[in-house]
Amino acid sequence: MRSGHAWHDRHLGYFFVLPATLMLAAVLIFPAFITVKASITPEGGSGWNLTLVHYLKAFRDPVLWQTFKNTFAFVAWSLLGHFVLGLGLALALNQALPGQTFFRLVTLIPWTIPDVVAGILFRWVLNPIHGAMNPLIRLVFPSFPAEFQWLSNPTLAFPSVIVANIWRGYPLVMVMLLAGLMAIPRELYEAAAVDGAGKARRFFHITLPGLSTIILIALALDMVWEFRRFALVVAMTGGGPGTLTEVLSTLVYKTYFQFFTFEYASAMAILMSAVLFILSLPYIILVGREQ
Amino acid sequence: MKSAALASEQRERRMDAVLSYGLLLLSVVFAIFPFVFMLSTSLKSEAEALSLPVTWIPKQFTLQAYSEMWTLKPFGSYFLNSIVVSGVTALLSTIVGALAGYGFSRFHFRGRTSLLAFFLATQMISGVLVIGPYFQILAALDLYNTLTGLIIAYVTICLPFAAWMSKGYFDSIPRELDEAGLVDGASRLQIFFRVICPIAVPGTVSTLLFAFLLAWQDLLWALCLISIDEKRTVTLGVAFLVGEFVIKWPMLTAASLIGSLPTILLYLFLQRYYVEGLARGAVKG
Repeated sequence: MRSGHAWHDRHLGYFFVLPATLMLAAVLIFPAFITVKASITPEGGSGWNLTLVHYLKAFRDPVLWQTFKNTFAFVAWSLLGHFVLGLGLALALNQALPGQTFFRLVTLIPWTIPDVVAGILFRWVLNPIHGAMNPLIRLVFPSFPAEFQWLSNPTLAFPSVIVANIWRGYPLVMVMLLAGLMAIPRELYEAAAVDGAGKARRFFHITLPGLSTIILIALALDMVWEFRRFALVVAMTGGGPGTLTEVLSTLVYKTYFQFFTFEYASAMAILMSAVLFILSLPYIILVGREQ
Repeated sequence: MKSAALASEQRERRMDAVLSYGLLLLSVVFAIFPFVFMLSTSLKSEAEALSLPVTWIPKQFTLQAYSEMWTLKPFGSYFLNSIVVSGVTALLSTIVGALAGYGFSRFHFRGRTSLLAFFLATQMISGVLVIGPYFQILAALDLYNTLTGLIIAYVTICLPFAAWMSKGYFDSIPRELDEAGLVDGASRLQIFFRVICPIAVPGTVSTLLFAFLLAWQDLLWALCLISIDEKRTVTLGVAFLVGEFVIKWPMLTAASLIGSLPTILLYLFLQRYYVEGLARGAVKG
């Protein structure tokens, strides 16, 4: 009787999981194979006459190299900003000060809007003539140029996009770390205080170790998301001036739908996905280990 | 001695509070300053939005932009499209994903771990990997420029998410309930539908809403699969306003705000579930 159930159960598991698996295979795995195939097909070619010419072209393409570099810088600075602001705010919010619900909700707002809207917002705020940024700076520094260009300035365009992305992304790291902080037992701090441990010691010996898993998960996830970021850049700069704020998502999109070099775009998409896969491995391993 | 230690601890705590308030106040300004400017612009006339010097508070409040977005631009049909596409995607993903989540949570079949890892890995894929083939496939199936095509594409984002999110939720429901059902002679399917599903309603609702949000926020897919005005979603409609030769900022900011309203409200209400789900492996796309 019991073994009968067990036998039945093993197969019933497939029954529950099958619809989702088939659906994913149809809508995701099958198209992904077409991309792989297209990336090794000669331009305009068909059938099984395969070539690596698009990958060779990719390795010699300065725009693609530059875009990889941009994307890594974009991810690294965004992560740093999200972490510093997120941790600072989580520590501040964890003290249960009066008004903390208000502060938590307000500081959460940037995360709740679609990132295309975040891009539009900063494009408007940084508008050289009608935006809010220049008049605001001139309130404090009256000698600041009235029509200062942010997004068409080659040195400042990229940092501006990164700041916008930090603005949009820190709240999620903040709420994750706050949840981690609240899970650390208060008794640990009280015991440490009795033992005469100072603030720094308590932070490095209780807070950070207690947070380490959630910090890893938050940063690993954030890395994957920022690596894919698309709409914010499209709405804010469209990748310009030139290709200075281009990231991989926008470059692949343009190569498909504006330059119409389908096979080359496929090779770029594969390269991007390969790097993304490597970046997401830490998270997959971290979470997989717990299952 | 003791009182000195107490005093120094109190001083320390006061310092912490001062620092915390300082950081919180600065962050509040950082967080809402762009918003407030957007709100202010949306309440101005077009002439005032483009006049100098820039006004912080509209000299003349007007709701013109909020009415023009429905008349000059078909935001009504954009909203309808977004609601239909996000709603159907969310429903489909949540139902199929809940089945899978229950299967992963309760059964130990061969290949379970690999399949779980596969579902997790698919959440990490960028849509960019498959936009090209989608364009071709949907054109071949006459589904380019249709909401159906967009729904199929959004399933790729929402389904892995929904499966993982609901697995986590089912994991938190005690197995003893299933076992009690088995003892009573109910079949596994009966147990799923009659015992577990009713308990899982709150978790399922939050999965449904998150799937809805994921689809609602997308721009990439809509940009690649929709090229006619009457099939645009809200985010696509907003993005096209930026691309126009002369940008009508009051209307753009008004449309951005109204288009973000569902996401702002839902995220603020659901943040706790979301964070719990993240730690368990449920991810947004």
